[in-house]
Amino acid sequence: MLRSPVNVTSTSPQAIQTARPVAGPYSHFMDLSKGEKILEMRGITKIFSGGVVANDQVDFDIRAGEIHALLGENGAGKSTLMHILSGLIEPDEGEIIIGGQQVRIGSPQDALKLGIGMVHQHRKLIPAHSVLENIIIGHPRTPIILNKHKAKKEISQLAQSFGFEIDLDAKVWQLDASEAQVVEIVKVLYLGARILILDEPTSTLTPPETEQLMSSLKSMVKQGLAVVPFITHKLPVVLDISDRITILRNGKIVDHILTEKADEKWLARKMVGKETLFDLHRTEVELGQEILKVVDLSAMNNKGFQAVKGVSFSVREGEIFGIAGVSGNGQFELAEVLMGLRKPTQGAIFFQGKDIKRTSIKKRWSLGIGYVPAERIEVGSVADFSLGDNMAINLYFNDNYCKWGILNFKKIYQDTEASIREFSIKTPGHRAKAKEMSGGNLQKLILARVISCRPRLLIVNLPTQGLDVGAGEFVQNKLLELKKQGVAILLISEDLDETLSLSDSVAPIYEGQLMGILSRAEADKQKVGRMMAGMVRSSE
Amino acid sequence: MINWEFCVAFIQASMIFLLAATGELVNQRSGVLNVGLEGLMLVGALAAFAIAAKTGSPWLGFAGGMVSGGLIGLLHGFLSISLKADQTVSGMGMWILALGMTTYLGQPLSGPLPGDGRLESVIAGLTPMFFIGIVIVICVWFGLFRTKYGLWVRSAGEDPSVAVVSGLNVTRIRYICVVFGGVMGGLAGAYLTLVYNPVWSPNPTMGRGWIALAIVFFSMWRPEIMLLGSFLFGFLWHLAISPSALQFQGIDLSYHFYRMIPFIATIVVLTVISSKKISRIIGAEKPAALGKPYFDQD
Repeated sequence: MLRSPVNVTSTSPQAIQTARPVAGPYSHFMDLSKGEKILEMRGITKIFSGGVVANDQVDFDIRAGEIHALLGENGAGKSTLMHILSGLIEPDEGEIIIGGQQVRIGSPQDALKLGIGMVHQHRKLIPAHSVLENIIIGHPRTPIILNKHKAKKEISQLAQSFGFEIDLDAKVWQLDASEAQVVEIVKVLYLGARILILDEPTSTLTPPETEQLMSSLKSMVKQGLAVVPFITHKLPVVLDISDRITILRNGKIVDHILTEKADEKWLARKMVGKETLFDLHRTEVELGQEILKVVDLSAMNNKGFQAVKGVSFSVREGEIFGIAGVSGNGQFELAEVLMGLRKPTQGAIFFQGKDIKRTSIKKRWSLGIGYVPAERIEVGSVADFSLGDNMAINLYFNDNYCKWGILNFKKIYQDTEASIREFSIKTPGHRAKAKEMSGGNLQKLILARVISCRPRLLIVNLPTQGLDVGAGEFVQNKLLELKKQGVAILLISEDLDETLSLSDSVAPIYEGQLMGILSRAEADKQKVGRMMAGMVRSSE
Repeated sequence: MINWEFCVAFIQASMIFLLAATGELVNQRSGVLNVGLEGLMLVGALAAFAIAAKTGSPWLGFAGGMVSGGLIGLLHGFLSISLKADQTVSGMGMWILALGMTTYLGQPLSGPLPGDGRLESVIAGLTPMFFIGIVIVICVWFGLFRTKYGLWVRSAGEDPSVAVVSGLNVTRIRYICVVFGGVMGGLAGAYLTLVYNPVWSPNPTMGRGWIALAIVFFSMWRPEIMLLGSFLFGFLWHLAISPSALQFQGIDLSYHFYRMIPFIATIVVLTVISSKKISRIIGAEKPAALGKPYFDQD
């Protein structure tokens, strides 16, 4: 039953040959003609030490030449399942069958020998090394004395055959998120993967980059490879790219469906298990006076490069001003400058008409500027503090909670309990520690804390990133509620759908510059997407 | 006057720094800091001196110095890699242990090395060990940047979790590098007591290990800069011993002043080098995982 290992229909069979220098012991059983079942997982169960059932009798299969999306919320068990497949975790029960044979995958190397490669969301690349070095590092055929010239030729040929372009001599730290992802994909392909598992592949890409990636993935499956992206948000991407969809919830398979038969609402309902989605309570309010005015503001990033370049805009009462952009384009530095965490190199910041460029952070809080940082664990909270103490961190300068330097803990704890109820935070009470909370609950707590300061201006940085759909929606509705009360909100988000659905004005940011300021009516997804990628600038 | 004799002496002094720093550079590149370099040198110096004195063979002395240094390196590796102890604390422990041990054990050996244990010079006053040392440094440079194993070592020092995912055995890589660092430290010590100054007295290294450690930082973990750094500090060190080589007219400075020079230079150079601006110009940064024990994911 020795079949030909590859059915190459593409233009560049040579490149495919180099794509699999480590033909694993089972690879000749793998029939890569389209539609053939090449891998099957049966009855996979994994229970973690805390008793958490991550996977419960999961059946999953992968066919050649298809994109089979795995969909589910955070904690649904997607990662566990794919980590089992890529050899990072071993299952407690169940079997994996490749080409009719049961296999044991004990390590990522085992997985690669079987043709399974995983592209992680948190990049497994070494920033200080060159792209080439990162790609060849684990390759068994790499000679003792490196032959960079030969390796370069092989790799660029392989990359080109899938429509990828990479600079092999660049250092990885110089790359942006999408380039780094391409490097990872090329790396696992070079290592011989024919089943490509992608962890949240589009979460850090601009819309044009997403399209680019999708077309590359499609050309891969045309050449007989199988692609398994697993995705938490971005349902439109799933619908656009995949052939089949499997949905996981609470560690169990809920359903699978051919993509052509699925729609967004149905998928969302299956993922969450209830019908609460896409239900934002947005009320249009009259925009009031100008709260924040930023004029020609510039700032450096931590590496000492210019990150914010001459940014000017203003935010009014009741307005949500959304800054849309992919991370690393200066939006975080901008938020830090506005909050006083970073010094501007030029420009002015006016809050209710007063220049606050030299105002201290504490003063800014008391003036009525609130800040929800992107790093909710590192910056937003103290992991070992209780929820009550985490509330107190932000209230010590508030006369209602602190007199003569003595904190009124009774009131703080009372209000914490009230917030826990109001924000339906799932926790035993204010004594629970921050580190024991899920991301969504922690974010709700941070938001509650900031709101208790009664801000006039709220700067929120990635408010829903990494949250599951329910918590994310709660946070978004809270922001809309604040808007209704007349709070000016500066929203920084990488989720374009979020920015567009919440904001009154949208300003795409690219390499530290605002590419224009669009009103809600003008801002359509394609236009903003192209501006975020620096392709067009609005002609004002 | 700077004459050839002075040059030979300062090159010999530089070799001590170079050998020790080479080993340290390799183990730091793999992610293990060994601040006990001074200790490695002390142990190597005593072992080499004792064996050469007993057997009359400098080559056996060198071998003994390397083996004993390697053993101390292994101990540091066991503490800091397997037991995940704090690398700085463990390294300090190695130094203090070595200082006490060599002072005590070396007591009966005090005095000059018997003539037949010395290494005779071959070319223009330089011993064969000089040439061997240079070859080692070149091999290390080539190994680190031109071979697969070098890539492995650098990856283990930058991000062990990536190395593991790529199929490398980080623990093994780090052990090998730490033992190599120990062997080179021992060799540097042996060079000191068999070639540079064949006399045993307590604490013969007198801070050379610390300067070698500084040279590694100074080099931004690059062997070619390390080579330069070693010769610079070797020159300063030897100048401190025989300041008459550079006689400044009308300036009569105390001998203690000259002894300070290498250490002051260390502070100045390290302060300048560690500034963000300089490291950006050079474009090199320290191994990202340096000093961090690697915990397997569980």
